[in-house]
Amino acid sequence: MTGIVALEAALQPAVAGLDAIVPLANLGGLTELADPTTLLDIFLNAISKFGVYVTIAAGLSLIFGLMGVLNFAHGSLTMIGAYLGGALMLTFVSEATSDVVTIAFFFLALALVFAIVTAFGAVIEIGLIRPIYDRPPLFQILLTFGLVLVFEEVVRIVLEIQDIQPNVDWTEAAGTRPDVLGFHEILGVTTRGIYQFEAVVGILVVAATWWFLTRTSYGLHIRAGSEDAEMAQALGIDVRRSFTVVFGVGAGLAALAGVMLMWDPRYGASVGLGVETLLIAFVVVIVGGLGSFKGTVVAAAIVAVVDALASWMLVNDVVTFSGLPELVIFLVLVGVLVVRPQGLFGVEEVGGH
Amino acid sequence: MSAIEIDDVHTYYGQSHVLQGLSLTVEAGENVALLGRNGVGKTTTLRSVLQLTPPREGTVRIHDEDVTGMATHEVAQRGVGWVPEERRMFSHLTVAENVRAAIPPDADPAERMQLAFDRFPDLEGLRGQEAGSLSGGQQQMLAIARALVGDNDVLLVDEPSEGLAPLIVEEVVEALEALPDDMTLVLVEQNVPMALELTDRFYVIDHGEVVAEGDSAAASLEDDRIRRYLTA
Repeated sequence: MTGIVALEAALQPAVAGLDAIVPLANLGGLTELADPTTLLDIFLNAISKFGVYVTIAAGLSLIFGLMGVLNFAHGSLTMIGAYLGGALMLTFVSEATSDVVTIAFFFLALALVFAIVTAFGAVIEIGLIRPIYDRPPLFQILLTFGLVLVFEEVVRIVLEIQDIQPNVDWTEAAGTRPDVLGFHEILGVTTRGIYQFEAVVGILVVAATWWFLTRTSYGLHIRAGSEDAEMAQALGIDVRRSFTVVFGVGAGLAALAGVMLMWDPRYGASVGLGVETLLIAFVVVIVGGLGSFKGTVVAAAIVAVVDALASWMLVNDVVTFSGLPELVIFLVLVGVLVVRPQGLFGVEEVGGH
Repeated sequence: MSAIEIDDVHTYYGQSHVLQGLSLTVEAGENVALLGRNGVGKTTTLRSVLQLTPPREGTVRIHDEDVTGMATHEVAQRGVGWVPEERRMFSHLTVAENVRAAIPPDADPAERMQLAFDRFPDLEGLRGQEAGSLSGGQQQMLAIARALVGDNDVLLVDEPSEGLAPLIVEEVVEALEALPDDMTLVLVEQNVPMALELTDRFYVIDHGEVVAEGDSAAASLEDDRIRRYLTA
């Protein structure tokens, strides 16, 4: 503790000077960063955000890497996943259901939503995107942006018919979250079990995707097709089928993240979830380098840490500007684009078709 | 039986009419050179065979089967290998992964991989290295190895000596000379003596059409049929 006190004392003059020049700030609070409990609090928040961000962005990155398609509807698939997951959980569980059974049903809901939205994504790829591969990228952007509008309106209509308010979080669905994923304490830090759960799911998604890409022949074909789709076809690889699989799996991963967010009190199931998650996913994918899965994982970690730190500063009144987390995340984006426009692990050329 | 039969093919890039009724035949096991100046349609001929740039008119037959309009991967699965201009490695994949990507799903990968490394022993020591870091000569060997590990009996090779030092070109020539006797080779090459040395017959292409043909053994750079279409 003596070391912490000494560090705080050393930081005091510097932050006092900053306080004077940064408006809306109480930078003296930064000295708390020397406290291990504060660092653990930020770390726990960061790994949960990492789990969410990497799960959403992995799909977006895979789709762009192989197909050169920037899928603006990706966030909407997360939103659909949140509502589907909520509907399934409300069907499966009641107040009498135990925590263990609820979590088992949650994994079943994850699997079902992943399967449903993967199939839905495959249908979108075959029916809508495949016919415009040979058109300029603007066509794909307009199409997927159009899908955002369609999905949002369809969800609004369903929510109205089902008498579920579309503009606020779906509290009934969030209420299926078991107590074990509620508040608890880790080494003096009060946190929520859902945050660690999201971190575990995110790490599992990274591990599974990494294994698929590097240890299976299908993954090898996808990586080859990402670099040069034409050459891959000339080696006998059915790149179009890979497109369908990757678009489907990418959509499934986005929806899987949505199921988690349905239980997360920071998000919840709402129509606005689509745009909210799409922006973060774009930042992660661009910072990591369009098309690079490794870059996506590293960028998700960086953005999660920055976001968690900024959120801590906001919650603890170090800075009172409520847009701070979003501001610093986009500053990271701008900084990377200025220093390294292709992103941290960006490949020189992607798509190739 | 013909390995490749191209009949009155017209191929375009957008509005640009590149192949203008080109016809040629390559018998199974035959080695044939496509000669001609830059931009006359040699590479487009290979691309039309693979349906990478599908012809708008005419037909392409592989082993007497009409493949016109077929997907490229289906043409490749009918035994057509491609060693493209500038090699086109998967530069972020390792040497071994580049080879493995070309092995058909029903083949034994370890066996096919060993076959490739037996043929090109220099590549074996580089198997874990990213293909993008290889020298031009090593990349050319890898491109040929990649085309041979499939169940291919037709090989389309485009400008294999391009950008390589003379010593390395000799190695490429040796690699192509060592191809199995029953392999059909279609070679596009600006180095005419090399092309004639490696092939049984040649076609000269000009303005998207075959304008001359003959036996390679009896031809040379001085041959009027070749010289008049190779000089600007």
